[in-house]
Order: sequence, then C-alpha cells, then structure tokens
Amino acid sequence: MSSWQGVLRKDLAIEFRTRYGLSAVIMFLLITVAVILYSTPGEQLQPSILSALMWIALFFGAMTGLSRSFIAEEERGTSLLLRLYASGESVFLGKLVYNVGLMLTLAASALLFFEFFFARDFHIRDWPMFLLQLSLGAIGVAAVSTILSALIGRASQKGALLPIVALPVLMPLVIAATDAMRITLEVSNAWDGVRGDILILVSFDMAMVLVSYVLFDVIWRD
Amino acid sequence: MKLFRSNIFLWCLGIALAIQVYIAFETPIGGSFSDAKMLAMNGVQDVTPIKATLLSYDPVTKLGRFRDLYDDTGHVVMSDKAYATKAAVGDVLVMSVAYDKQTATNNLVDLIRVNPMMTFPMIQGLGELGRNMLFHVPMSMVAFIAFLMGTIYSILYLIKKDFDYDRRARASSAAGLLFTALATITGSIWARFSWGTFWNWDPRETSIFILLLIYGAYFMLRSLLEESEDKKARIAAVYNIIAFVTVPFLMFILPRITQSLHPGGGGGMAGGEAPIINLSGKVHTDRTLLNMHWVSVFLFLFVFLWLKDVYTRILRLQDKQTEEN
Repeated sequence: MSSWQGVLRKDLAIEFRTRYGLSAVIMFLLITVAVILYSTPGEQLQPSILSALMWIALFFGAMTGLSRSFIAEEERGTSLLLRLYASGESVFLGKLVYNVGLMLTLAASALLFFEFFFARDFHIRDWPMFLLQLSLGAIGVAAVSTILSALIGRASQKGALLPIVALPVLMPLVIAATDAMRITLEVSNAWDGVRGDILILVSFDMAMVLVSYVLFDVIWRD
Repeated sequence: MKLFRSNIFLWCLGIALAIQVYIAFETPIGGSFSDAKMLAMNGVQDVTPIKATLLSYDPVTKLGRFRDLYDDTGHVVMSDKAYATKAAVGDVLVMSVAYDKQTATNNLVDLIRVNPMMTFPMIQGLGELGRNMLFHVPMSMVAFIAFLMGTIYSILYLIKKDFDYDRRARASSAAGLLFTALATITGSIWARFSWGTFWNWDPRETSIFILLLIYGAYFMLRSLLEESEDKKARIAAVYNIIAFVTVPFLMFILPRITQSLHPGGGGGMAGGEAPIINLSGKVHTDRTLLNMHWVSVFLFLFVFLWLKDVYTRILRLQDKQTEEN
C-alpha cells in the first residue's frame, strides 16, 4: 500500500469513529435549510436565489468540516508523528483525497436536502451539467481548504482564521459554480450557457491542485 | 534601487504626473456629426463637441462645410465673425454644436482651433467622463503588475530564504492593494456619473471587491500570526502565491464572460466591440487617447516602483530596529 492511501485510511477511520466532520457539516446544512424555509414560507424561490443559497451552505459547511483535517492533527499533537511516518506529498494527497470525498458527500447531502425540502421550486433541468458543476466546485473547495488549513494549522491562532483567508480565495470558484447551477436550474440544455463557467471551474481546480501540491512541502516541513 | 532615492528622479516624476493630469483634464474632446445628431435625438444633450476639418465656408448661406473624424461631411451654421476670427479653411477645429431637431441643422455655439494630435475622441455614452480612462484603467493595470511582482518575490523568498525578498513581496502587495483601492475609487466616481450610483455590483466591481478582500486577508493573516519571523514569512509567501492564482480569474476571465456594465462584458457593446477590453484582444480606440493611456501606465508604474522601494526601506529599518532591541 502506498503511503498516501495509509493517510487516507487513517483519516477515514477517525471519521468513522467520531463522525465529527460529517455530522458537523450535515447539522450546518440542516440548520441553513431550516432557516431559509422558516424565513420564506410559501414564497416562490427563484433559481438564482436557490443556487446562491446552496453554494453558501456548501461553502460554510466545508469551512466547518474540512478545516479539521490539519488543525485537528495539530491539536491532537499527532502532526509530528505523521511527519515521521509519511512524506509531504503522500500526506497532501491523502488529505486531499479525503477532503474531496468529504466535500462530495457534503454536496450529495446538500442536493438531497434541497431536492427534499425545496421540492416545489428546486427542479434540476440538466442533470449531467448540474452534477458536473457540483463536483467540480466541490473539488475546488476541497483543494483550497486542504492547503489553507495546512497553512493555518501551522499558525498558533487557528480558530476563525480559515474562513477569513479561504472565503475570498474561493470566491471566483463559488461565483462560477453559482452561475452554472442557476443555468442548469433554468434550462434543460445548459451546455452553451455553462461552458464558460465549467472552463473556469476546471482551470481553477487544476491551478489550485497543482499550486498546492508544489507549495505543500514548504509549509509541511519545519 | 538607487534611482528612486535621487531627488531629480522624484522631481521629474512629479512634474510628469502634473503634466499628465493637466493633459487628461484639458485636452478637448470631439465627436462626430452622427454623435451630435444621435445625442440630440435621444434627448441626452443638445450641445455636443465635434472634431472636424473646415473644408469651405460660404459667406452667403453662412454654412461651413466640414469633414469629421469618420470622413463624414457635415454643414454647420456659422457666423462671418466666427469664420473671420477663429477659423480658416483646412483647420482642425473642435466646436460645440447645437443640433436642431426640427430643422435638422447644426448651429455653432463655440469653436476652438486645436492641434489635431491633441484631441480625445468622444466615446458614446461617456462624453467628458472618457477622460477617466487615463486614470482608472492604468491604475488597474499597475495593480495587476504589483500583485504579479509580489508573487514573484514570494516565490524567490521560498527559493532563496532571503528576508529581503519577503520585505519586497510585502511592499509590492501593499502598493498593489493601494492601486486597487485607487482604481476602485476612480471607478466608483466614474460609475456615479455614468451609471447613476457609486456601486452597482457589476461583475468587475465584484471582482475588485474580492481582490481587496483577498489582499486584505493577506495582511490580516500576517498580523494575526504569532510565530517566528521565518515561519510568518513562509506562511505569508505561500498565501500570497495562492492568492495570485485567483487574480487572473478575477481580473481577466470572470468579467469577460458575464454580462457587465463595463465595456468588454459577455453581452458586448452596442455598435461593435468594446474599445480596449474585449474577447479578441484588440484595441480599437483613437491613437492619441491610447498613447496617453500608455503614458499614464508608464508614470503610474514608476509611482508604484517608487512606493515599493520606500516601503521596502521602511520595513528594512523596522527589522533592524527590532533586531537591535
């Protein structure tokens, strides 16, 4: 077994034992949906509003769940051991794959909640494009939170720092994904409308994964 | 650099900037006969400046025949006095012309003789506001260059581990933030008179707002870290590089594909491509305005380099002081 899979397995085992990440994220999603539903009884929600709400829920859900990956390592004091056990790149790859998985689970549950609670207004008209933008967006959010939580994990004051530094960096991605989601909710053949957004998402994801892969070693080794 | 410490350089830069500001505000703006007609018909304004060459003047009908910048010929009702004192056949003039909707004639209000090289074209819908193109656009360009240089210095810091690169990266990004703020201010003044409000959440306004947030977060991160100087610099350098990955998306890509009030947005402009920012990467605007725009870019670039140099020296002195204590 190569060592990045070991890191991934370790994180998955911790997650299954504590269910911290997923339950925090799902609670966050439920509360967001409940607040939206409470404040808009009987109102027709436009696709533009729904797509923005879904991405806001996903973004902040990611900030509560994904930020744990490195910060928890530092808090438990296990980061030194991890540094001895695995090379920088395998730690990065393991954490990245774990975060992408968590983020995709989060996106899937958000989709489920929205389908269930907003059944009247939330109609996906172009499923393939919808899923494409959702997964590309999820990968981007996971990549940025991985590198930035590693960055924050090295700092002594961690608490609220991650959303502050991650939110502006993720904005281009969230804007493009929101736009793409709105179009897939509006028209059934969305490719012409979402092409530009999908290209932005793909290039943003690739750029972020590559840059963080290169930079991770700099942060990781002491 | 030594250049930025010489008084002669600073005097030259200051004087050149003053001249540039004077040129930007005082150069006459002249449109065409079709501009004047269109603006009057749409009820935007009755009197429009037109840049044209006087071809002939008929003292009997008091009509002057002109050729404007699009090679259209137009007639303007002049007076003998205006012809005798202010104009001669073959002169390039900028004249204020009142277009009369009932009779479809152009009546002369005022006229000046100009240097044909020193006039700005009238951009539809902007008029006098077009002068801001010499401030707003160059400032945004210099902001991009500043962020690019900051990132290059951050990369150099990570490679060479020399603290001076970290100071330069910090200074470049700070100056970039300043120029972004200046571009935002000039832009929102422009928006106030062009679109009605200071802030419209147009895609480009959103982008520059996010850019301010990102580099604001960079400096905040730096001040919130309680680490050794070395670690602080390393974390900040990594964040600076990650932040720069978003800059091309925010400055170049997103505003081009989304519907925008700015020229060059996804919808395109009425009457062809936008003058400077468009998808085909070509520049369609008057030579003089374009050249003066590049002069502005050049001058602001030197202002940026000077500010960066000053701030780097301040940081060096601060570090020296903390070392001594």
